[in-house]
Amino acid sequence: MSDIFTNLPSDLRELVRLAGVDHRDRGITIFDGRGRNPDRRSYAHLFKLATATAARFDAIGIGAGEPVMVALPTSWEWLQAWMGLLFCGALPVASSGASGLAAAETQLSKVDQVMGAIGARHVIASAAFRDQAAAGGFDLAHAGVITPEEVQAAEPTQGFEPPPIGADDVAFLQLTSGSTGLPRAVMITHKGAVHNPAANCQGASGQMREPIQDWVECMASWLPLYHDMGLVGCLLLPMLVGFELRLLRPQTFLARPMLWLRELGTNGLSFAPAPNFGYQLCVERIKPRDLEGVDLSNFKVALTGAEMVRRETADAFVEAFSPFGFTPESVVPCYGLAEATLAVTFDEAGQGVRTLPAPAGTDAGFGMSEVVSVGRPIRDTRVEIVAPDGRKLGEDAAGEVCISGPGIFAGYYGDDKATAESLIDGWYRTGDLGFLHDGELYLTGRIKDVLIVRGHNLMPDEIERLADRVTGGGGLVRSAAFSVTRGSAGEEPVLVVESADDDVGRLAAVAREIKIEVGRALGLPIADVVFVRRGRIPRTTSGKMQRSEVRRRYLEGTLDVIRSEG
Amino acid sequence: MNRSAIAISVIARITGVPEESLVPETELVADLDMDSAKALELIVELEDRFEIEIGDDDAAGMNTVGDVLATIASVGSSRDRS
Repeated sequence: MSDIFTNLPSDLRELVRLAGVDHRDRGITIFDGRGRNPDRRSYAHLFKLATATAARFDAIGIGAGEPVMVALPTSWEWLQAWMGLLFCGALPVASSGASGLAAAETQLSKVDQVMGAIGARHVIASAAFRDQAAAGGFDLAHAGVITPEEVQAAEPTQGFEPPPIGADDVAFLQLTSGSTGLPRAVMITHKGAVHNPAANCQGASGQMREPIQDWVECMASWLPLYHDMGLVGCLLLPMLVGFELRLLRPQTFLARPMLWLRELGTNGLSFAPAPNFGYQLCVERIKPRDLEGVDLSNFKVALTGAEMVRRETADAFVEAFSPFGFTPESVVPCYGLAEATLAVTFDEAGQGVRTLPAPAGTDAGFGMSEVVSVGRPIRDTRVEIVAPDGRKLGEDAAGEVCISGPGIFAGYYGDDKATAESLIDGWYRTGDLGFLHDGELYLTGRIKDVLIVRGHNLMPDEIERLADRVTGGGGLVRSAAFSVTRGSAGEEPVLVVESADDDVGRLAAVAREIKIEVGRALGLPIADVVFVRRGRIPRTTSGKMQRSEVRRRYLEGTLDVIRSEG
Repeated sequence: MNRSAIAISVIARITGVPEESLVPETELVADLDMDSAKALELIVELEDRFEIEIGDDDAAGMNTVGDVLATIASVGSSRDRS
């Protein structure tokens, strides 16, 4: 089975069915929130669960093409709900769950807003979620919440047959950060959902003699299933090629990162992706005694993507874990995003992290002196670098990364305007900046204002709105949030606030209040709160705030600061 | 050491902030820069030390050092009653 593309499943349902046929002895083990009580079931079982649950959803009245949210932690209930919706003909939409210290209202209001925006009637969630929604006065509490127990209790429709689908039909919706803090629902086609994981395997195989699906035995993942890398890379991909899959909850990894490496080092030859911060967390938190008996020479492919890949982190990871057998060439940088289903490029060289000096004039906001190769486009996928005026640029010239191929999304669900702005003639404008060198992509920054802090994507508005609550701003007084990178911590949020007051003592108190407001709502520490005089946050002639310009001046030290902490 | 003293020492170790500067009003995120990874490390360590379970709702309600102490006290006492 060397060429994965010769017998590619026709659609995502077929992928799920074939996993149970072609990989009968393989399956998924899911750990509880404490990283204990592994619950293993086969891929064949998952297929049966999906079809049986589809008949129950049909009986409940879930219709074909209807978006339905899934807000459950990584669990068999999650898989049952998501896969059941897929087979019932609905559009599953996985949404983020509770996270650490962030307020429960933050999650609830996001789910509520998304449901309103995409017209979803139902969310599959726990009874506790329903109680919280009711207590918080959210509309979705009334009819919207269906618990996994209620689904299980429904009498299935006899002789239910999933409605027919084609390769270009939408299979599911993937939530991603929109420009205003409200997530957008990316429409992923069946074709993309099957092609992209296959192309990822080919990309990850790179220069190796045998394709990875012929010898990798296990994948271990802690990535959230509501994230494209978690869903496509760490569920659909292992099902397609029949890896034994070990799933931890994200919270379990954050509390005990060693559990992830233990899984990767004790279950045969293994493959796993993670964002840069995941590798960084391993370096910071895992002690040698945590890894007794773990052989990381098994961890053959360590994909790093989904946020800026940093050479320092990869080097530190290799240094920390080479005593346990980990080898530098196992690190494989890649680049992907929800609008591409997942991957766009893979570094196939098999040489570990390779860098070039950051070209002059590229976005200095990330503070990197070198930029990492994220490799070449995956099969059937094209990458072009485009100037602001739409001109296609040649090698070594930095511009916006534009992509096309079978994994490109079909549009934002229910948002034709946003679709038309970014998806033109099959080409998606990513909002990421980079250049090509010898056909390989190097990322240098971002046009879009999204902050990616320790794996969480958030839009500046989410922080600015909370700050405005403290300062009473939003009108004349403005604030601007952006991220900077200093040292190994990755991106850190900085907030610049305009102020008419120049009493440093009073401003210190306001800064703390803002940090408390943001900390309580989002569970996110702010690295620096900076006060500047009124009117110093630059705007375009149309009045749009220029956050990238604020960031540039902040880093240059030309912001005319009244008070800062950094 | 009583539970509160133990909890304070755990918070101090995880955040690198000296025990004596931790007061009930200290904000976990705003004052101690506690991100989600550190928060979860704290929660799991407290769960293990005291053999309790801190639910997601309890965690989301913990804003200050005082909230942490109150949470471990209330989770512990409801367990003792049952």
